[in-house]
Amino acid sequence: MPEVYPVGMAEIRIAKAPDALAVYGVGSCVIVAMYDPKSSIGGLAHVILPDSTGVAPDRLNPKKFADTAIPLLFQTLSHAGVFKGNLWAKMVGGAEMFPPTEDFSLNIGKKNSEAALTAVKKLGIPVMATETGGTIGRSMVFRLDSGRISLTVLGESSKEI
Amino acid sequence: MDDVLKLTKEQLDALREMGNIGSGNAATALAQFLNRKIDMDVPSAKILPLNEISRLIGGPEQQVMGIFLKVMGKLSGRFILLLPTTTAVKLLKALMPGFESSTPGKFSEMETSCMREIGNILAGAFLNALSVLTRVPMLNSLPSMAIDMAGALLDSVISDNAAVSDYVLMIETSFIESQENLRIHIFLLPDPKSLDRLLEILGVK
Repeated sequence: MPEVYPVGMAEIRIAKAPDALAVYGVGSCVIVAMYDPKSSIGGLAHVILPDSTGVAPDRLNPKKFADTAIPLLFQTLSHAGVFKGNLWAKMVGGAEMFPPTEDFSLNIGKKNSEAALTAVKKLGIPVMATETGGTIGRSMVFRLDSGRISLTVLGESSKEI
Repeated sequence: MDDVLKLTKEQLDALREMGNIGSGNAATALAQFLNRKIDMDVPSAKILPLNEISRLIGGPEQQVMGIFLKVMGKLSGRFILLLPTTTAVKLLKALMPGFESSTPGKFSEMETSCMREIGNILAGAFLNALSVLTRVPMLNSLPSMAIDMAGALLDSVISDNAAVSDYVLMIETSFIESQENLRIHIFLLPDPKSLDRLLEILGVK
């Protein structure tokens, strides 16, 4: 039986076919998926913040930030024997859950998506699909037999990327 | 205090007691507003690892209404109310006689505005009590409201508080109205930069 492994906030996890990786209830976080169709190995980084600048190096958890988590996901896949030239990426999340008021705007979702896109491009990995932004939460299952990501919105199946 | 894991039992007790004072006042305000008896759970001051946050309130995919406010002033933080949408409908019925929700899960502008006002009143009462206790004026921002999966609402609220620590400090309580089985969860998240000052004021630095 294929397993489905959940990936929580600030976690990085890799797996291979026939298993799957899942994230439930993604709001402003951005989930970066990388996949190698040749070996059917892939992984997810569950990024919560855009930029690690200003955090003391000894206190830095690199799995939290787009600029550090995405290279780390790539490294983890490389250690598992995946060739960079085979990899592609997809991105999900980065929503603005709470509408801005006169007093504040959280704005974190947009920053997360932008930073994640920059970090993936910097690695030279092509971005195949994105499902980011908007004002809705998403759940996703990343199937490593096909590299497809199924998305659900409030329990209803919405689309596949 | 950049790592909430270093908080001592005495410090957590002081924060919980502060939560008790704030939520007591908020419960009274809600009781007066609804003209119903409101019970309150004993508040807790919890230190939660990031990957467990989404399991609060019936799991990450549980559909809830969230009302979010920022706490502004020398002691800053974030304040969030989470409640099932069915509870929101019951609250609206209690407040507006003759109210019938037109489409389940959807709220009109008037209903949304009414729920935000409830958030405003509860946060205001909570923070007033804390301002008296700490002698530091605290104001709440205008509230923002969203209906979505609990995990999605919580991640956007807590991520900024987790830049350094992998754990988040939350002061949590819930209000219960037994006649209609209403339950509202309340979370107060002091900003990490305010935590030292808060502990000093509470005399437990």
